[in-house]
Amino acid sequence: MQIKHYYIILSIACFGIIFASCDDNAYTIPDGAKELTNDCLKRSLGPNMVGGSIDFAYAMALPFNTGNLVSAKVEASIAGASGTYLENHSYHTGSGGENVGIEIGSPSVTDGIATEVVFTRDTCASTLRYYYIVPEEARGKQVSFKFSASDSNGKQVSYDMGPYNISEMDMKLDMALTNNSYFSISDMAVYNATQAAENPDKIDLVYLFRTMRGVTFRHAFVSPTAENADYLPNLTLPAGVGNSTKFMKVYASADQQLARNEFGVFVDDLDLREINLSNAPDYGINIAQNAGAWLETADGKYRAYIYVNKASETVGGMTISIKRLKIK
Amino acid sequence: MKKYLFILLITVAWVACVDYPIDEDGLLITERGECYVGSFELLGSDQKTVLNQVAVDTVAQTIDAEVHYGTDLKNLYPQFSLVTDAKLDPKITGKVDFSDLDNPKKYTVVSGNRKVRKEYTIYITVQTR
Repeated sequence: MQIKHYYIILSIACFGIIFASCDDNAYTIPDGAKELTNDCLKRSLGPNMVGGSIDFAYAMALPFNTGNLVSAKVEASIAGASGTYLENHSYHTGSGGENVGIEIGSPSVTDGIATEVVFTRDTCASTLRYYYIVPEEARGKQVSFKFSASDSNGKQVSYDMGPYNISEMDMKLDMALTNNSYFSISDMAVYNATQAAENPDKIDLVYLFRTMRGVTFRHAFVSPTAENADYLPNLTLPAGVGNSTKFMKVYASADQQLARNEFGVFVDDLDLREINLSNAPDYGINIAQNAGAWLETADGKYRAYIYVNKASETVGGMTISIKRLKIK
Repeated sequence: MKKYLFILLITVAWVACVDYPIDEDGLLITERGECYVGSFELLGSDQKTVLNQVAVDTVAQTIDAEVHYGTDLKNLYPQFSLVTDAKLDPKITGKVDFSDLDNPKKYTVVSGNRKVRKEYTIYITVQTR
């Protein structure tokens, strides 16, 4: 009797499952937009540096055969520096993965805070790239953007982006150092011995390359102090130099904006503001390509991060890039 | 059948009640009495080794380490490899200042059973040119 009940319950459960699985709940394609729509994304990553670019991709479209795009405009809360523009090409990816641009209008015209492209090609969909060059007056402030588009039906749409913080840091790329040259953090410049003698208070570090029997020295940054004479072999310092600059070698901190071959790692204002270099030495030897270091000037006015872009193991000379923040 | 289930239940309950002791750091106290340093490493602020050569003497309980010429002794990360279940006192929580060469750093290895303690002294010398 009990076994019979089990069979009945099992049969009901099976039928229930079959019934539920056969329920016709067909997927329907959702209705697309009926009129002009837009969307936007920020393409560039990392701190927004003065002189650098903030990149966007602005997409706009309306249904096929319902009209065409007339214009696209971007208004920044602070006018961009020279070089700010909105692309007049719409890009798609070619078979080889390359960007293929199709001209859709006249080159953009920038008037104050507004940059506009007028469409000359009859198209109902386009994605335009916008490159905003951060002006000096935006340093330490916030910038926001309003993207807008209009179509031949008189319809207008807009999309707000931001606000974005603008870094207070300075950045300089690819400074070439020659053997026995002098580096100034405050000027973000490289000097020779004669120039260093003319600006001794601005000299923070000596760059030198040496090969020594029995020890590994190679590329070095050394503060030009009497205490560091042992690390400055065969070198007569220009008169007046003597700043003791903090120099802390650091591991795996390659900054994407400085290295340009690393991804997702950035040195920003907060890093330089909060790092404690009070216990750091005032020299660094055996510095190799792709290495980095935190620096602080003797007067504590500037902190910086340098990245070694290029340095041979056998020949003197080095290429570095720097991010610097004024602390005091 | 019920008898076997009962035995299994008792066994599980007994195992669950065995008290494995832990120390003040929450580490398991075992029965191992071995107490020594297997190897020693010193890393600079860039996480690269600064050691030129190193010798660990488990009898004299000393570590003699020669570091590269120009090494910044104030910002070093020491790394010890210890025998199984042993621990180090004091703990290493970050950079260590080894610049006072007249007062070498001392670390104590504590055995797995926490009954044997051996103090190692680290003597640092800097390579000269």
